[in-house]
Amino acid sequence: MYPNTCVVGARVVVPSSNVGSTMKNETLPPILVVDDNHDNAEIIRQYLEIRGYPITVAHSGDEALALFETVRPAVVLLDVMMPGRDGWEVCRVMKQHATLGRTVRVIMVTALDEWQDKREALQIGADDYVEKPFDLPTLAATVQRNIAMQQAMAS
Amino acid sequence: MSESILLSDSDDEALEPAVQQLDGWRLERVMSAELANAVAARPGVRAVVVSATDPTLLRMVVERAHGCGVAVIVSCADDTARRRAVELKVEEWYRCPADAGEIAQRIRGAVGRGSPKAQALEDRAERVEYEQMLHDSLTGLPTLPVMIERSRNLFKERGELVVLYLNFVRYSKIEEIYGWEKLDAVLETTAAAVREFLDDTALSTSRLMVSFTNDDDFIFFHVPAAGVAAATDNEITEMVARLQRHVGGRIEAQHGEDIAALFDIYVGRAHVYYNPKIRLERLIYRGIREAANAARSIEERERGRRVADLRSSLRDRAVYVDYHPIVVAETEEIFGYEALARGVMRSLRSPEVMFDVAAEADLVWELSRLCRARAIEGIETRLQPHHLLFLNVDPHDFSDPAFNENEVKYPERVVIEITERTAIKDYPKFRERLRIFRERGFRFAVDDAGSGYAGLGSIANLEPDFIKLDISLINAIDTNFIKQNLVETMVKFSNDHGAKVIAEGVERAEEFKTVKDLGVHLVQGFFLHRPLRLPLPPIAEPAKR
Repeated sequence: MYPNTCVVGARVVVPSSNVGSTMKNETLPPILVVDDNHDNAEIIRQYLEIRGYPITVAHSGDEALALFETVRPAVVLLDVMMPGRDGWEVCRVMKQHATLGRTVRVIMVTALDEWQDKREALQIGADDYVEKPFDLPTLAATVQRNIAMQQAMAS
Repeated sequence: MSESILLSDSDDEALEPAVQQLDGWRLERVMSAELANAVAARPGVRAVVVSATDPTLLRMVVERAHGCGVAVIVSCADDTARRRAVELKVEEWYRCPADAGEIAQRIRGAVGRGSPKAQALEDRAERVEYEQMLHDSLTGLPTLPVMIERSRNLFKERGELVVLYLNFVRYSKIEEIYGWEKLDAVLETTAAAVREFLDDTALSTSRLMVSFTNDDDFIFFHVPAAGVAAATDNEITEMVARLQRHVGGRIEAQHGEDIAALFDIYVGRAHVYYNPKIRLERLIYRGIREAANAARSIEERERGRRVADLRSSLRDRAVYVDYHPIVVAETEEIFGYEALARGVMRSLRSPEVMFDVAAEADLVWELSRLCRARAIEGIETRLQPHHLLFLNVDPHDFSDPAFNENEVKYPERVVIEITERTAIKDYPKFRERLRIFRERGFRFAVDDAGSGYAGLGSIANLEPDFIKLDISLINAIDTNFIKQNLVETMVKFSNDHGAKVIAEGVERAEEFKTVKDLGVHLVQGFFLHRPLRLPLPPIAEPAKR
């Protein structure tokens, strides 16, 4: 159930000692990373965690929904192609959530190159997307602008 | 039923009242060090609230609790504690200090969710989904199955129930024109207004419940109080009239006149009597169907009246035109006006309604001719010489023999807007007609561009001079990066094809700034100008904001 537990435990220390000087990381909002590819998820987690974001990883749509209410993420990075419930379905359910749906920002991680795909994403309520294959700085920038937007809308 | 035990190492005083808010629960406090053992050792423990900050201890408690199906709630003093709690996949957490209400809610949530060991993740995901089906997230109103459960006993007791079916017509039209986000917002307004109305309605001797059918209709259950007769037809008619005024007023205040003009309610009613031989749900569903049919037949009747209204409007030429300014994004100078034809009669105020009625009665060409003629009159009397007139023309109008390139005196000042939404049947012939108009000096705009899945290919085919973005792309564009991306694509496409992009439906400063930053050339919307209405002084420059 918790194959990454020790890795996680070790890594938690990194942001607090590393970026501790900024003091800002304590207030960064939580992010839920959803990707059925464990390597991908792990890369994203490491990259964002070093930047001080509290990260929770889910490896399936079901796990993402199960964790959603507990994590209460500000931003969800959501892979579209997953077995079982895919990213679209997860996004739709999250956006309709009675209390969290209004504030959560959902970023789809997928190649939305066609007009039709983007229109579909809009219809389902997605806020942003990161093109796959993504590079990490773009991903971080996308996360950041959505967190900024979420905070602007909350205030 | 035996008592459920909440175990905790916290000395938070709010815990006690929180537990009292839960039914059949008892709080037991233990030392942090004993928590892990106590979780497993005591029967009846269903949840544990942990305040200890020691990570090893916390992990032990979580493992032990999840091993025997006990839910874990972490009381977090800071962000580190919260992060740790989430990483350990506890059922719930709250930030300390929290009030008793919140704590109780978290405990309830955690227990409902169960431990991940005992229940598969799938179940938890499904529960999230199911819960949403019980209450509509937009309106906060219960859905029908919930309402039937709630009224079951009351209905049995009183023996009768009145079902009111409120058919909010043309909400689907709002969605078609403005996109689902707008309709969501309108529904939210509607639900709030309905609730407000119910709170101080006169039928207070009885029980009124409201449900939302997840489309655009509302259902009221009215159960008369004991010994009181159910509301009469007159009372209900009167109530509906007041409701219509109330909701209509709210919608106009929050979403403007154009949307309010689309708004109408038709109410159907059915009286259901309790019958022990028949399943109660079925009785109620039948009542709902009956009430819905009644609402529909009222709508039919109303439609007949509207056709008559339209015929007399055509005879009297009772159509007037609003001129909605289109401005240059950079300078905010007026570039031109879109002519919006409206019926003089109240029932035909909205152009969408008017054209719908015309389509039903096969009067589209006649109505189009009248609207065009009225709009063109304004070129000389209302517009300054350098202003363009944007004229909505349905592609079908091009088959109207009365509509030809010589109809207009100043073709070079007219931009013909063709909506992307209407399917064009005979493409080569249509393009040939366009060519003739173009040679006369007319220009063309594609209206509602990007509303469908089609993308840019079909737009390129029409070689437009202007591309008018669909309102749904502009609505809240400042907060949605996908919309921004789409509009950016559209601007680039226009620049490549020598066309100009118009953003319509700009209602807020943020939207205006965003489209301007994205390079949109022209802008139209309430944020800049409201439509100009007759009577006006001739050739008047509208007042600046």
